[in-house]
Amino acid sequence: MALRDVFAIVDGQAHSTAVNAFPASPRSSRIQLALAVLSAVVTLAVGMAATAPGAAPDSWWSLRPLSAPALPIAAGKSGSHPVDAFLQKTLAEKGLKPSPEADRRTLIRRLYFDLIGLPPSPEDIAAFVQDPDPKAYEKLVDRLLESPRHGERWARHWLDVVHYGETHGYDKDQPRPNAWPYRDYVIRSLNEDKPYSRFIQEQVAGDVLFPGTRDGFEALGFIAAGPWDLIGHAEVPESKLDGQVARHLDRDDMVVNTLQTFNSLTVQCAQCHNHKFDPISQEDYYSLQAVFAAVDKADQKYDPDPEVARTRRELEARRSSLLGRRKDLDAAIDQRAGTRLKDLDDAIAAEERLAAAKDAMGYHSAIEPKPNVTKWVQVDLGQTQPLREVVLRPCEDDFNGIGKGFGFPVRFRVEVSDDPEFKTGVTVLGDFTDAKFPNPKLTPKIVSAGDRAARHVRVTAVELAPRQDDYIFALAELEVHGADGRNLALRRPVTALDSIEAPVRWQKPNLTDGGYPGLDFVNRPELVSLKLQRIELRNVSSTAEERETLARLDRDLGAVEEARRGLPSQSVAYVAAVYQGGGAFTGTGAKGGRPRTVRVLARGNIQKPGTEVGPGTLGCVPDLPARFSLPEGHAESARRAALARWLTDPKNPLTWRSIVNRVWQYHFGRGLVDSPNDFGRMGELPSHPELLDWLAATFRDGSQSLKDLHRLIVTSHAYRQVASADNPDATARDADNRWVWRQNRRKLEAEAIRDATLAVAGRLDLRMGGPSYRDFVVEKPEHSPHYEYHLHDPRDPSTHRRSIYRFIVRSQPQPFMTVLDCADPSMQVAKRNEGVSPLQALALLNNPLMLTMASEFATRIDAQGGDLESKVRTAHLEALGRAPTAEELPALTALAARHGLPNLCRALLNLNEFAFVD
Amino acid sequence: MTPHSPFHRAPLQPATGLSRREFLWQSGGGLGGVALASLLGGQGLLSTQANPVDASASAFPGFRPKAKRVIQLFMAGAASHIDLFDYKPELVKRHGEKSDFGEHVEAFQDGLGPWMRPVWDFKPYGQCGKLLGEPVADLGRVADQMAFVHNLVGKTGVHSQATYLQATGFQLPGFPGMGSWVSYGLGSLNDNLPAFVVLPDHRGFASNGPKNWDSAFLPGQHSGTTLFPGRPNPISDLFPGPAGSFITPQSEAATRELMSRLNREHAVHEGDARLDARIRSYELAARLQLAAPEALDLSKEPDYLLDLYGVRRNPPTWPSEINAEEEMDHFGRKCLVARRLIERGVRFVQIWSGNDNSFPRRNWDSHEDIRRDHGPLARGFARGAAALIEDLQQRGLLEDTILLWTTEFGRMPSSQGGKGRDHNPYCFTNWLCGGGVRGGVTVGESDPWGYKPLDRNHPTTVYDIHATILHLLGIDHTKLTFRHNGVDRRLTDVHGEILTGLLA
Repeated sequence: MALRDVFAIVDGQAHSTAVNAFPASPRSSRIQLALAVLSAVVTLAVGMAATAPGAAPDSWWSLRPLSAPALPIAAGKSGSHPVDAFLQKTLAEKGLKPSPEADRRTLIRRLYFDLIGLPPSPEDIAAFVQDPDPKAYEKLVDRLLESPRHGERWARHWLDVVHYGETHGYDKDQPRPNAWPYRDYVIRSLNEDKPYSRFIQEQVAGDVLFPGTRDGFEALGFIAAGPWDLIGHAEVPESKLDGQVARHLDRDDMVVNTLQTFNSLTVQCAQCHNHKFDPISQEDYYSLQAVFAAVDKADQKYDPDPEVARTRRELEARRSSLLGRRKDLDAAIDQRAGTRLKDLDDAIAAEERLAAAKDAMGYHSAIEPKPNVTKWVQVDLGQTQPLREVVLRPCEDDFNGIGKGFGFPVRFRVEVSDDPEFKTGVTVLGDFTDAKFPNPKLTPKIVSAGDRAARHVRVTAVELAPRQDDYIFALAELEVHGADGRNLALRRPVTALDSIEAPVRWQKPNLTDGGYPGLDFVNRPELVSLKLQRIELRNVSSTAEERETLARLDRDLGAVEEARRGLPSQSVAYVAAVYQGGGAFTGTGAKGGRPRTVRVLARGNIQKPGTEVGPGTLGCVPDLPARFSLPEGHAESARRAALARWLTDPKNPLTWRSIVNRVWQYHFGRGLVDSPNDFGRMGELPSHPELLDWLAATFRDGSQSLKDLHRLIVTSHAYRQVASADNPDATARDADNRWVWRQNRRKLEAEAIRDATLAVAGRLDLRMGGPSYRDFVVEKPEHSPHYEYHLHDPRDPSTHRRSIYRFIVRSQPQPFMTVLDCADPSMQVAKRNEGVSPLQALALLNNPLMLTMASEFATRIDAQGGDLESKVRTAHLEALGRAPTAEELPALTALAARHGLPNLCRALLNLNEFAFVD
Repeated sequence: MTPHSPFHRAPLQPATGLSRREFLWQSGGGLGGVALASLLGGQGLLSTQANPVDASASAFPGFRPKAKRVIQLFMAGAASHIDLFDYKPELVKRHGEKSDFGEHVEAFQDGLGPWMRPVWDFKPYGQCGKLLGEPVADLGRVADQMAFVHNLVGKTGVHSQATYLQATGFQLPGFPGMGSWVSYGLGSLNDNLPAFVVLPDHRGFASNGPKNWDSAFLPGQHSGTTLFPGRPNPISDLFPGPAGSFITPQSEAATRELMSRLNREHAVHEGDARLDARIRSYELAARLQLAAPEALDLSKEPDYLLDLYGVRRNPPTWPSEINAEEEMDHFGRKCLVARRLIERGVRFVQIWSGNDNSFPRRNWDSHEDIRRDHGPLARGFARGAAALIEDLQQRGLLEDTILLWTTEFGRMPSSQGGKGRDHNPYCFTNWLCGGGVRGGVTVGESDPWGYKPLDRNHPTTVYDIHATILHLLGIDHTKLTFRHNGVDRRLTDVHGEILTGLLA
């Protein structure tokens, strides 16, 4: 923010009645703060005292040590609900009163959508409405919290915050088919009601704090949840600036995800300079980057069953011990075998390189639109020498279904000369230009040289081979046999008129690399002979006892291998881990997981590195050290473990305030702090600071059970109030219901709309977990997949699962869900946008899924029999949770009578009452 | 934000009336909200009774915007400045010589072959005598209207990040597109169409796909609405498809009427403006159903105009090889649709040329062969763009419509060994036209090779381009902000200087 903005704004404020009306609003304190930063001279006497960043770090509300304030003595009531005690005290101060409790029909629909994300069935409603038990409400809450649907509902909230997605994003946007284990981990953890500390620790450092457990591994999908730049990692190496930028941004993503999710702080603002508003230094920020400096986002194998994991670890330990002993013994023998062994090994390695070069296809000329173009390729033998024959070996390439004989010239000749230009002293060894040479498939063309001496051998094509509406010249291998039958051309330099040069497959050196289609690389006599010589040499260099020991070690290793093979195959999850890879994306695995060096970057610029920083965290939390003191040579995981412990330390007040605020928000549509991802000075102030602290401290010091927290909140009167704003006096005092004098009517999110639609249509598939359903058709998967949603068949039952199981594409978001404001997996979404637009109306009216489900809904209602009016009544009850009134029923029935039940069902699914929950 | 636009979603508003306090809160509670609110408050736009006036007319007191609308042409894959717009005689002279950049160069594919001359010859056009490459010769007719910036610099040679940077001002996902910011700042000029419309390449999305025009943290109505003129539903779910075979015009009317009645009865006594807004959204949806097909209908455009744009009334079956006629038809069609949208009050139209990097190449990433890809693509876009400029001018729309031609970065002055060029994020070209842009000028030169800006200390950045366009639209780019996760975000981040040389 520039100086002039602040003054412009303050100037604007001075004329604004809004400021006077809300003297304690966070805006005014923010402005005051900004002024304090800029000028000590300017003072502005409004509202709440705010502090400048230079002040003691614990003076900001969110950083103050957390303890539970005393419960207010509720106005004239004993034994009142603690939540209500706090809220009603404030209401009384504001001259407001709580609204009456909503009726049971409203309450059950509210609870269902809040706790499990689905509508109650008419039977559920009837049972609850008629339940004489005074504890009926509490029973219902318990039942819903125990439902497996509960974890599915709340996992979606969590995945919004951690920006979970199932493609990488960025260029190409390749899928992440193994991301879902993290999603299932979240659902499972919420259903099991895992203590919140453990939930955090698993996600940041589960591999080290809970080794060998399934949750401790799959939870690391948290660090890997965000986007990842495939090009910047896998196509650009870390040695290039673009590669370093990509890795810097990736660490930034991990840091921001962690601190924003668990502590509601905006550390990202300290990437280029110290945080302008909060006590977060640039060094704090980079010390957090250092925590994640060794890990990368990648697929990793693991054993979900801890027993299997343990067995595998034991077998691997035994294997490595056996291998170590064999290595020592081998080394002793090899030393005795001396240099001759080294020569043999070099020769074997050279032969084996050939086998590894199987992907090398050969030489390939430039591509021509016409066949009658002359092209040549030649080899330089290094010196003039007698030649017995020249062998042309054809290529094999499935391009355009051609296969064997790919690119073999139709007319050609073979010449030798001592002149590399072939201008003088040229001898034609073979001329095949008179007639079209039939495709030889893989049969080599052998041309006799009659012991003529020459240095250069050239193959000239005068008519090229057809490819695909175009023409080329390709050869796999050019051998030139000398008088002794040895291939004189092997690994000799190749020149050509032109070449497409597309390594590894096509390049000039491939023509003399010794490899060609049909060659049995492994059983080549040269290789077999070398290996036999090696065995013989080692035999004479070792004792019988040593050989016996070696044999025993090999037997034991074989047994270990067999046991390993007998284990169930490993699962794969996309997580953060020390990665061991090839190509440009190597990870830190090859360096034993040693963390990359992290330096403070001036203005966040990778080309302006400053001082190196060690692992640490924020310095602004009182009583907790900012830098981790870890022993020299510590494992990288120790850094993450230290951060996990810091996050879950009872002395870190942010953690507990953050989570209770998030839970509150999902129950009321608005948090006690209305900036759930920012508890800093640019965020909002808590509306009910004492209630927030009471909830946070009670949660921290108790069971840390999220289900207990839900139970506490939803059993309050505040939660059970009506949502109607039909109260002119209260509306005049508090139009936006900041003081919670009523419940808030909430618009159903994209997932709730879709799930409810499938549910009332009777098509919702409640299978849990596993790979996600894909409601798109993928075209061109090999490069940049096109995710074509409009080609998907909405009748496909495999896609009728709950929306939490949707395969989430980053670059091409699902249009229907997106228009309904689903979370964008490219950013941390603490609170969804909630809008109303014509495009939403069109989506609900015309989206193929909505139309298909309207028909299915109608079919289901029709099958229940009865007269049309009773069918209409049932449909209404299913969709909206209440029977139609005497005025509504005839109108609805008339529509169904005239235009059919599907049109009626479509109308019901589009009503305001369907889209909102009271 | 014009509350009457159909693409204005009623903000989260639990009670009747739109209090100032609420407005601020809903727009993120940010300082941007304050600026925007005072701006709109000054216009009386906070009242739900307001007329749908053009918010840009006198958006900032004492400041008169030159432009009302923007059309952005985005060449995906990185179009070569050297072969089209930025003539380099030095390269003609040194063609084939070993390249020497005088410093270490990090090239994306290490493609630093010999210097390579522009693939095409250049000729001067217009009074200004601007030299243009042969494939974009059509633009010669309007050269005196165009302003060139030849010293743009990027931050990365990676397509995805570079495309994000040009499209959103940030090189990572999660930020609103320029059109979203313009929609957020100025709202719509019409009641029946979205404020921000995107015409993607019909063959597929460019790098990052729809994230390039996403509203990100801005309210959802500011997302670019993608339009696929060829599809049965040019806008997603505009009409019921085969799954809605049970729907007839009569049932549709009866359904809408019944819904409206039930919704109104339900909203009574609830005191919740969102319920009313949602009722209205269904009425506006019906208007869009009429307006969108009409805007896309080219059948009444005269033959001479179709011809000007290079559009065939009955396109033939195109050959499988890339060719100029086909590119002209596709791109020209989008340009013509853009003009129709602009005429009907769409605020921001973005047209894409080129898809992802799949095979065969149909984008500007000519690592292999500039002539093969750039030739037809450039002829295609130049025909449509030149026609669009002339057509807008003739209708009096050019004076308040800005055209911006951009790409994610440029290409190297050296060959990549063969006939292609590697990425050049160190220098590339933009051009602008109309809407208060000074014509016939070049602002910012590249060095004699087109490798880096001539004055390396004073390059032009995307922030400057964005700041200038917002300025022409009457918006101070430092004040159009939105608070998200604790940061007052703006299109130009913390950068951006208005390019005064571009202003007429």
